[in-house]
Amino acid sequence: MSGLTIARRQAVWAWIFLALPLAYFSLVRFWPALDAFSLSLSKWNLVGPRRYVGLANYERMAADPVFWQVLANTFEYLLLGLPVSLALSFLVAYHLDRVQTGHGLLRALYFLPHLTTATALAWVWRWFYQPAPVGLFNNWLSVFGIAQQPFLRSTFQALPAILVPAIWAALGFQIVIFLAGLKAIPRSYYEAAEIDGAGSPQILREITLPLLLPSFVFLLITTSIGLLRIFDLVYNMTAGGDGGPLNATKPLVLSIYQSAFARMDMGYASAQTVVLFVILLLLSLLQMRLLRARP
Amino acid sequence: MASVGLRAIRKDFGRTQVIKGIDLDIADQEFVVFVGPSGCGKSTLLRLIAGLEDATSGDILIDGRVVNNVPPKDRNIAMVFQNYALYPHMTVARNMGFGLRAARLPAAEIDQRVTAAARMLGLENLLHRRPGELSGGQRQRVAMGRAIVRDPQVFLFDEPLSNLDAQLRNQVRTEIKKLHQDVRRTAIYVTHDQVEAMTLADRIVLLRDGRVEQVGTPTDLFERPANRFVAGFIGSPAMNFLSATLENGEIVLPWMRLPAGIAGSGAVEIGIRPEDLLAGDAAPEPYRFEALVRVVEPMGSEALLVIAVGGHEFQVRLMGRIHPIAGTRMLFAINPAELHVFDAATGQSMPVVQAR
Repeated sequence: MSGLTIARRQAVWAWIFLALPLAYFSLVRFWPALDAFSLSLSKWNLVGPRRYVGLANYERMAADPVFWQVLANTFEYLLLGLPVSLALSFLVAYHLDRVQTGHGLLRALYFLPHLTTATALAWVWRWFYQPAPVGLFNNWLSVFGIAQQPFLRSTFQALPAILVPAIWAALGFQIVIFLAGLKAIPRSYYEAAEIDGAGSPQILREITLPLLLPSFVFLLITTSIGLLRIFDLVYNMTAGGDGGPLNATKPLVLSIYQSAFARMDMGYASAQTVVLFVILLLLSLLQMRLLRARP
Repeated sequence: MASVGLRAIRKDFGRTQVIKGIDLDIADQEFVVFVGPSGCGKSTLLRLIAGLEDATSGDILIDGRVVNNVPPKDRNIAMVFQNYALYPHMTVARNMGFGLRAARLPAAEIDQRVTAAARMLGLENLLHRRPGELSGGQRQRVAMGRAIVRDPQVFLFDEPLSNLDAQLRNQVRTEIKKLHQDVRRTAIYVTHDQVEAMTLADRIVLLRDGRVEQVGTPTDLFERPANRFVAGFIGSPAMNFLSATLENGEIVLPWMRLPAGIAGSGAVEIGIRPEDLLAGDAAPEPYRFEALVRVVEPMGSEALLVIAVGGHEFQVRLMGRIHPIAGTRMLFAINPAELHVFDAATGQSMPVVQAR
């Protein structure tokens, strides 16, 4: 190596250090991911031989009413969860930013669920949703004389009931991101606005929100991806972990899991994975364009 | 028409006293500069006048009206911030019109006032740019433009030049002075730079440690400093100080005696400005002394020297283009008429009672 220039020698060392993680990611991440594409064109039960079947898995998917319901559920998680989750976390962060006393404690309390295992969280909430006298919420309802609610047992209420802890668990992380964004806005911007006589709505509309746009876009992307990949809460909060009742809460990832590891149908699972991949890709591209179009 | 008055203003942050009782009257259309070392409370005082902070006690008057509980927007003031506080996502025009939009003026009038201010500041061609696309000097002008469009009675400037490089600073300083002469409004300007204070101010308020050390015209502060601190703060290069003894109206230095024009005896500190140490033939006969030239710093039309005599070093400002050579001995003289004498214990200036 002594014959090399300093820059080349540094490059050689850099590649030596990069080699191990590169090999790891290629073997454990990229290759299986790419293999999913070819697997989606095959039939395979994990142990027997792989058999090429063309687009059969995709044709089956298009004809499968459960797949379409699962897809609709997945987007319901996204379209319901995203606005509520971002609006809520912004609202909390915006007000938390103005609180001096107890700021640290409050922030820690909001962040706590982010540190909790999703499984533990799911089972506690599952218990909250039980009928009286076990379930917390139905106990409250009975105290106020309001009719008992089925929550997780209703095809209509189950999905939102699972979404609530999902939103709550994500809140801490989102609040921290928003708080960082709010802190980055110089105080003099607000003071100048105060001297200029701007009211809270004008300050929010013309200063805070536009300057918080990068935080919004970042959270839009991460939260969307998180919601589209929702799995563990559904798996742990529904009876038998099968996304019931009547597939009412089943998201795409759970459906993939069941195809692959309950029915050992790797080809069909891979085909659904490809669909999820395409959705995530399109969404990310769209949001990256949004971010770049920013003035 | 707006005067500004401060009556026994105090400001504490927790247990820290920042402003320790300040009384001040600023006349309508006056340009007053608050100057002092960092931590002296000058910015806090400005923020109190702006209404961005509440005074712990005392009254603030604008145009004769107590404004202690009046929000900033109703104080008829505008402020130029140190970092300009321009909104990065808005064009220059929208930045300048922000306050007018807040006041819900009709769009046509906002447009007309922004255009007029832009013309005054030479910003017409930049109205559609964003602050990120402007130079430091241009941003500074936009910040002033935003203040001007509101047509306030009092302009407040918080170290507006400190983010500019030295050359631009001089240029913008001149522009601020011109602007004040054009718009004729009361202006209060905070800086830590005594040169800015001297060049801009009708009157300087020199602050230290939350108190006013001296208020006066630049000439007052330069020629008749109230105490040793003011004498040392104003003037560049700074005044030379030296401990000495007063003996029956004479200053006794280790190497000579000078008439003090002050009766009495005791320990004193004398101050002499670098330009009041005369050299060579200009040195008047009776007060001459010989000193070693240690350092010569040529500056073109003048030179700064460090000279040594009697175990002390002095800075000397020597006018003229011919400079001495370091290491040589030269004749100098202290002009006794320009000598400042301070009480060694209190630091206060001692009044001259007879010509010297």
